[in-house]
Amino acid sequence: MIAKIANWFDERVGWKVIWEAIFLRKIPKVNWFYTLGSATLFTAVNQAVTGILLTIYYVPTPDHAYDSVQYITTQIPMGWLIRGLHHWGASAMVVLTVLHMLRVILLGAYKYPREVTWFTGVFLLLVVIGFGFTGYLLPWDQKAYWGSTVGTQIAGAAPVIGDWILRVMRGGPDLSAVTLARFFGVHIWVLPASLILLVAIHMYLIIKIGISAVPKKEELA
Amino acid sequence: MNDGKQLDRRSFLGLITWFIGGSIGAGYSIPAIAYIVGPAARKEEDQAWLRLGAASKVELGTPTLFKIKVERQTGWITNEKELSVYVLTENGRDFVAMSNICTHLGCRVRWIASQDQFFCPCHNAAFSKNGEVMDGPPPRPLNQYQVKEEDGQLFVLGG
Repeated sequence: MIAKIANWFDERVGWKVIWEAIFLRKIPKVNWFYTLGSATLFTAVNQAVTGILLTIYYVPTPDHAYDSVQYITTQIPMGWLIRGLHHWGASAMVVLTVLHMLRVILLGAYKYPREVTWFTGVFLLLVVIGFGFTGYLLPWDQKAYWGSTVGTQIAGAAPVIGDWILRVMRGGPDLSAVTLARFFGVHIWVLPASLILLVAIHMYLIIKIGISAVPKKEELA
Repeated sequence: MNDGKQLDRRSFLGLITWFIGGSIGAGYSIPAIAYIVGPAARKEEDQAWLRLGAASKVELGTPTLFKIKVERQTGWITNEKELSVYVLTENGRDFVAMSNICTHLGCRVRWIASQDQFFCPCHNAAFSKNGEVMDGPPPRPLNQYQVKEEDGQLFVLGG
């Protein structure tokens, strides 16, 4: 029955070719370090799902941000779980992204013909860091406020254009309601859009070119 | 594994993958549903006896209006709401407390002494002094509160 429905759709949509290209593609014999990219993608999905759920109650204004976060954590059923997954998932995503990058560096997977995959990966790392930086402010507690004060101050230390960067980041000279709103906007619209685009290219290239094999000693000679 | 269909390694791993994937999916969906419907599924906030005022203020046979301020918690915001209650007594001992909210579409009704009826300005509805529908579109009588008298003070049960 299921096979019949699957065939009915395949005849009209052609999904089996895509399914096979993604999940049944041939790969060289590799080790568990090659799963770090998939693990990172999984944390990205986790952040998307829990992040969307958090926006149902979170309000990004100075009078409501802190209270709405407390409301999620203490009053909403499973709110502590959703927020906890988003909070810890964020750290996991940064750690896994860096480990994935180290694997690609140490096993030389960035080399020809995979340079473009590497370029998109570099931008993906920046996007992940941007997520962490903007998300840090959103709970609007003391740690968030002073963390973002210091973080934007560091950006302000850049020579010549530093002060201008700081003002653009904060939306003015001080950390304010404007800062909270723009960090929120960047966190839930700008960065996710960039992430989806970059991940799509990254994944397309991985599937198109195929993953690299573990380097062999003879190849060094 | 004695029957004709043997499970090979490949299909076994495939099955395990689907099982783990399904578990993760359920692990997200079930808490997500609880999280989304949570505030809607919550029971009406604990009702409390709210003090209206002195029972002696109620005139015999005439609905008398009491207005009190009630604190209401909506989400993480506490705001003050005004509650208006019409209290009627025929003998000074048994009290009826009625809401001033029209049962049609929620407009506020008021007592018109000269016509001996409650009047709702939105669709010209009329209620008797006991709250029964006399005219207009309302589907049922005015809502009533549980009411009690203690030491000369009137209380209604509400939230």
